[in-house]
Amino acid sequence: MARRKNKQKRREVPVPIASMGDIAFLLIIFFMVCSEVTKDKKLDVTLPISEYVEKNNEALVARIAIDKNAQIFFDGQPVESAKDVEWGVRAMLENTVSEDQRHVQFKCDAALPKETFEPVLKAIAEAGGIIEAVGELGE
Amino acid sequence: MKKRRAKQLKKHREGDIPTGSFSDIAFLLIIYFLVATSLVKVKTITADLPTGEKQAEAQMDKTPIVNLRETDVFFNDKPVSMEELNDRLAALELQDALGSKKVIMLESTSVTSYEVYFQALAAISANGGVVALVEEE
Repeated sequence: MARRKNKQKRREVPVPIASMGDIAFLLIIFFMVCSEVTKDKKLDVTLPISEYVEKNNEALVARIAIDKNAQIFFDGQPVESAKDVEWGVRAMLENTVSEDQRHVQFKCDAALPKETFEPVLKAIAEAGGIIEAVGELGE
Repeated sequence: MKKRRAKQLKKHREGDIPTGSFSDIAFLLIIYFLVATSLVKVKTITADLPTGEKQAEAQMDKTPIVNLRETDVFFNDKPVSMEELNDRLAALELQDALGSKKVIMLESTSVTSYEVYFQALAAISANGGVVALVEEE
C-alpha cells in the first residue's frame, strides 16, 4: 500500500509547450498591427497644460515638433525652417481625398515664444493640414 | 552490396527542420516591439486654421478678438482670466453658429509663450470656434 503511494508521488506532469511559438507569433502580429514606431521619443519638449485636451483618435499624416532649442523636426528629422514644413505637409497631403487624412500632429515646447512656433503653425495651415496640438491634461 | 545499401539508406534519410528555437525568436521579437513602439495615445486639441482669403475676410468682419500680451489675456480689449475667457466664449454659443460667425481672432505679441497661446487656442477650439490668426503689419 505504502509502495503504491510512493509511485504516485513520483509521477511527473509535463507542461505543454508545443503551442508557445504559435502564441508568441500571434502576439507579434498583434503588436505589429496595433502599434506605430515612435519617431519623436528623444525630443526635449515640455508640453503645455490645458483642461481641454482629449485623446487623439485621428490618423496622422505627419508629426511636427519644436524642441527646447527651437529646432524644428518633421517626422523625427530636423529641418531648417517653417517653409520646409509647409512643403513636406503639402507633399504628404497631395493624394488625400477626405478631411480625415489632413490631421498633422504639432508638438512644441511650452516656453518657446510666438516668433518661433507661429510660422510653423501657419505653414501647416497653408499646406492644408488640420493641427492636432499636443498637450497635457491639467486644471 | 554494402555500397548499394548505404545508397538506399541515404535516399530515405529524412531531414528535420530545427524548430526548437522558434519560440525564443518570437519572444525576442515581441520584446523588440514592446520597447520600440508606443501604445499610449497623445492628448491633443484640434485647430483648423483658415488661411489666405478666408483669413482676410475674417479680419474684415467685426469678429470677437482674443489678445495675448505676454501672460495677460484680453477678450475684446478687456482683461480676462482663462476661466473668464472660457465663459465669454461659451456665451457666444459658437457651436451653433454658422460660417464666419464661428471665427475668433487670435492676436499675440512676439514674446507670448506657447503655454498661454495653447491655452487660448484650446479654449476657442473647445467652445466650437474657428481660430483666425491676426497677421502682424
